[in-house]
Amino acid sequence: MNAMRQRAVAIAIFWAVLLAVLAWRAPGFFAGSNIRDIAVINAPALIIALGMTVVILAGEIDVSVGSQFAVASVVAGLLAKAGVPLPFVALLTAGAGAVMGGINGALVTWLGVPSIVATLAAMAFWRELLRWFTQGAWVQGLPAGFQWMGFGQAQGELAILVCAALLFGVMVWALRNVQAGRAVYAVGSQRESARLAGIPVSAVSFGVFTLLGALTGIAALLDSVRFSEIQSGAGAGLELKAISAVVIGGTSITGGRGNTWGTLLGASVLAVIAPALTFLGINAFWEKAIQGAIILGAIVLERVTTSRKMKAHAR
Amino acid sequence: MRVENRAGSERALAFLIVLEVAVFAFTGPNFFSAANAFEVVRLGVELGLLALALTPVIVSGGIDLSVGSMMGLCAVVFGYLWRDLHLPIAAAAACTLLAGLLGGALNALVITRFGGAPLIVTLGTYSLFRGIAEGLTRGVDNFSQFPPGFLYLGQGYLGGLVPAQTPLFLLFAAFYWLLLHRSIYGRALRAIGFASDGARWAGIPVNRRLALVYTLSGFTAAVASLIYVAHLGQARSDAGTGYELLAITAVVLGGTEIMGGRGSIWGTLLGLGAIVVLQNGLRVSAFPAELAGILTSAILVSTIAIGRRSVGRAAAGTAVTQEDGTEEEEMKNSQLAVLSAVILAGSLIVAGSNWWLVQSVRPAASGGAGSAVPAKRLTLAVMPKAKGDPYFVSCRAGAEEAAKQIGADLIWDGPTDLDPAKQNEVVEAWITRGVDAISVAVVNAPGLSTVLRKARAKGIKVLTWDADAQPDARDFFVNQATPQGIGDTLADEANRIMGGEGDFAIITGALTAANQNEWIKFIKARVAAKYPKLNLITIRPSDDDRNRAFSEAQTLMKVYPKMKLIMAISAPAVPGAAEAVKQSGRQDVKVTGLSLPNMCKPYVKAGIAESVVLWNTGNLGYLVVQASKMAVDGTLRPGATSIDAGRLGRIGIDGDQVVLGKPLVFTKANIDQYDF
Repeated sequence: MNAMRQRAVAIAIFWAVLLAVLAWRAPGFFAGSNIRDIAVINAPALIIALGMTVVILAGEIDVSVGSQFAVASVVAGLLAKAGVPLPFVALLTAGAGAVMGGINGALVTWLGVPSIVATLAAMAFWRELLRWFTQGAWVQGLPAGFQWMGFGQAQGELAILVCAALLFGVMVWALRNVQAGRAVYAVGSQRESARLAGIPVSAVSFGVFTLLGALTGIAALLDSVRFSEIQSGAGAGLELKAISAVVIGGTSITGGRGNTWGTLLGASVLAVIAPALTFLGINAFWEKAIQGAIILGAIVLERVTTSRKMKAHAR
Repeated sequence: MRVENRAGSERALAFLIVLEVAVFAFTGPNFFSAANAFEVVRLGVELGLLALALTPVIVSGGIDLSVGSMMGLCAVVFGYLWRDLHLPIAAAAACTLLAGLLGGALNALVITRFGGAPLIVTLGTYSLFRGIAEGLTRGVDNFSQFPPGFLYLGQGYLGGLVPAQTPLFLLFAAFYWLLLHRSIYGRALRAIGFASDGARWAGIPVNRRLALVYTLSGFTAAVASLIYVAHLGQARSDAGTGYELLAITAVVLGGTEIMGGRGSIWGTLLGLGAIVVLQNGLRVSAFPAELAGILTSAILVSTIAIGRRSVGRAAAGTAVTQEDGTEEEEMKNSQLAVLSAVILAGSLIVAGSNWWLVQSVRPAASGGAGSAVPAKRLTLAVMPKAKGDPYFVSCRAGAEEAAKQIGADLIWDGPTDLDPAKQNEVVEAWITRGVDAISVAVVNAPGLSTVLRKARAKGIKVLTWDADAQPDARDFFVNQATPQGIGDTLADEANRIMGGEGDFAIITGALTAANQNEWIKFIKARVAAKYPKLNLITIRPSDDDRNRAFSEAQTLMKVYPKMKLIMAISAPAVPGAAEAVKQSGRQDVKVTGLSLPNMCKPYVKAGIAESVVLWNTGNLGYLVVQASKMAVDGTLRPGATSIDAGRLGRIGIDGDQVVLGKPLVFTKANIDQYDF
């Protein structure tokens, strides 16, 4: 636990420094409207990162969420365009996500395909299938009530934030206090021990992928309702963003250790980088390099602040 | 059992390759020829080098996601050393290899000394290497005009037939085979992959061995990058984008266990073969490019699933595995059965879509202008910059209309991502197929020109459209509007909307996008020359993602409160930026840019996007197909001053350019007249 906390602490220090620099050079960054906009834009990514946290805690990984996100967005758009009432659109979109996640889960649990292989295949499969199906065309001509779920902009933004906050709260609570949540930690720590302890390990593995799929579906919908048209190529690179948020937040990539608070921290750091660079007037060309340096820096800092013994164990 | 099992999966893969060759020999003209076989080898070398390097990495239980980005970094370093520091080409290459070694050593250092998990560490360097490459070149720099001796490495033929990079590849394959299968290092890597603690207790220097494979991986990526640069004739920061995933796919398909401990170089070579043959075969057969991804993933999952199931079954039986051969046989048969089923399903999809394509073209031919139909149906190949880009989707409608009218077969295919090498591969496949004319919207002029010259040498008419290649690489350029025309029009619009003075910002596509960078150059030039009171404050990327454009625009409005205009020059970026302005409620910020009218209609009508600039994309596609047909039948030849382009009437020719006309400016007043 301690070793992983160290990474979160290292990241928190970095984040504090970044915010301090912003406060000094560009105090406008802390305007309420800016914080709100950044939160609204990144709420969907946070929701996916939450699901990714659970998948990684269970010792698996899913690199197909970006493609799932694109498929779910188009599904949501087509349903809304066909005149399906919004609550059902939400339900069916989450369902479509759950089905895609469930397929990953089935491949991993019952066919024994390692999760990185199964989801690598799913990533290409859904993306290419979607492109073939839509030929790149957007979903246009959505009903007027689609944008902001018919609430109007201010309330719509609030609704997105409330959804994300609720999901986050439920996750924090469930991972600690619900039997299934603790089973995820158990399976991720030592699968064989978990099985011997009577935990249905296959059901847990299948469940985490399905959960991530459903959350991706919800995220896709919450992202789509900010606009009046739906693009068909959304979510490229989302998988890396979600995984980065989770591991920056201190969750162990081998499973069993970590928590959702860390993911919130990781997602916040990633969310702030791009606008922060604009506020500080730093050239966009260095953005990727800075992102990479942060990940490496976190690892190095973690090692520097941890004892050698802990490290040997963590590996 | 394990050895047997692997041999089984290698047999299955070999069978798969044979099956692919059989299917494509049937569907793809000239697929089954020595020339194409060597072309396949050439296409596989860069990817193959990465796959070779990744095999020991994965066997040791790790992974290296940074190899594709490393190619981008090395390409830039190489170009910089050679062109700007004037190093001799050999010295520049040596330094580049050193850079690869250092990059690999960085991975090794953080993994072994700082105990980072390989997946996270290389995820970090994946961003870092690409980021440094983009930062060094500002995304724009494109190093080209390398000496012929160097280009020979990537484009030449030994003895007129064998691609020049083949021996180097075989050398690396042999080296990695020795390393993994015939040395104590390979055995150590396996042991580490099975259980790194166990290996350490057994006296294996785990960290040193791991450091070796990651450093070698960086070095090999640098070699792959040099070959890539020689192959394309240009070095840019986006070299090797997405190669890491394809290389991992090849390794895993080849039977290497992703969790470590098992794997073979033979398997990797077979896996690589299966992927490269599939890609080439689909292109030569003119099947949609999307199929490559779909089929590869289906094959990958089914092979691994079968392998896993048989291992699982054997392990679940008894602790002592029974080696009586019957189960082995059964397993092999089931593998072959499922693999065949996958391929069969794939070919059925392919056959179905092909039939559908033929059906959709045929009635038009009989209904077309009877006497104008030539005896032999022409095959006209047209390539967009990217498939799935809404701009090119709208061009396609016009192209298909024209193909129907003249009764020709239209092949419309191109890259599905931003990988600059893809266009070359598609053109190569078309040359093999033997099409009558090739028309390309060029992404990278220096890179693509070499292969276009090759097409011309084979008697294929070559046209460029949307963006030009080097003039001697094509017969005609169908010019909808020059980059200068676009730049000028956008700058003029900016001046008009802003009333002659003030700040504006540009939101572009990807930072490395060649065409957008070209436009930006002319926008800057025009502003500097004619509108000194306009001030370009910053350029932000959108990666052709509407949502990213939205958040960039939102931030820009806060950081630069006096900004009066956002100029978005990527089709999805205009609606993204306009939505951000709309949601902010700001009346004093306007949006203009280059985009499709349908996408922007709501914003133009609401007065947020003051205007959108574009030409008639449907007409462009239509003209391209008309012109390429006329180039084939000789109506369009050097010296012609105009052509009769069907429903477009007479179109003027200016030198070697077919000119569509000026860009259209869509405003509130006229946007309803257009539907694309």
